[in-house]
Amino acid sequence: MKSRVQPIDAAQARRWARRLSAQVGKVLTAHPHANADNVRHTLILLELPPLERLQRSLIRGRATAIFRK
Amino acid sequence: MAAPLPFSESELRLLRVLLQRKVRFMVVGLSAATLQGAPVVTQDVDLWFENLGELKISQALQEVGAAYVPPSNLNPPMLAGAGAELFDIVVRMDGLGTFAEEIKNCVEISLGRQKLKVLSLERILASKMAANRAKDKLTIPVLQDALAATRTAKRRLKHK
Repeated sequence: MKSRVQPIDAAQARRWARRLSAQVGKVLTAHPHANADNVRHTLILLELPPLERLQRSLIRGRATAIFRK
Repeated sequence: MAAPLPFSESELRLLRVLLQRKVRFMVVGLSAATLQGAPVVTQDVDLWFENLGELKISQALQEVGAAYVPPSNLNPPMLAGAGAELFDIVVRMDGLGTFAEEIKNCVEISLGRQKLKVLSLERILASKMAANRAKDKLTIPVLQDALAATRTAKRRLKHK
């Protein structure tokens, strides 16, 4: 599965993480009560196509249901 | 062509036939929220139909080998058969207007050449806040934070 959030090398990964961190900071400045983890995960998911976001959610939802049994 | 994520061939066929027959429906609930970036998990895809009694729905279901099962004592209304297991039927959305009013608050997600109507994150949040069940209380703060993040991200893209 090809994902736009996966950096190719370490330098790219660091740049991506810095950019993400800056974006999280901007959201938290505008919404100080927001949870940083929720904001970060949303911003990461927004880099993926919508159907891939749903697929991830369904996989995790089903896994959670299995562990609950 | 392989089915795009996250649907199987039969699930995709069901959605496509519903869209081809111009059945008025939208994706709601947490699956709609996750399509818009909310970091929540779900086990199914909730579909809200404008009129469940519509002939076009039963024709579409018949075409793909599925069927509508009306509500009984223990079961809510449901879809059964090929490609229908993933989908749940929603008959009521707490805190929202009529289907005709809420369809104006939809975003569209591409499903190949067709467009799937998906209730906006704002309206999903409004519905969860109105329903306020124990499980909704867990997701409300996540949806609020996701909305804040998506709004900021959209503004950033607009200024680029």
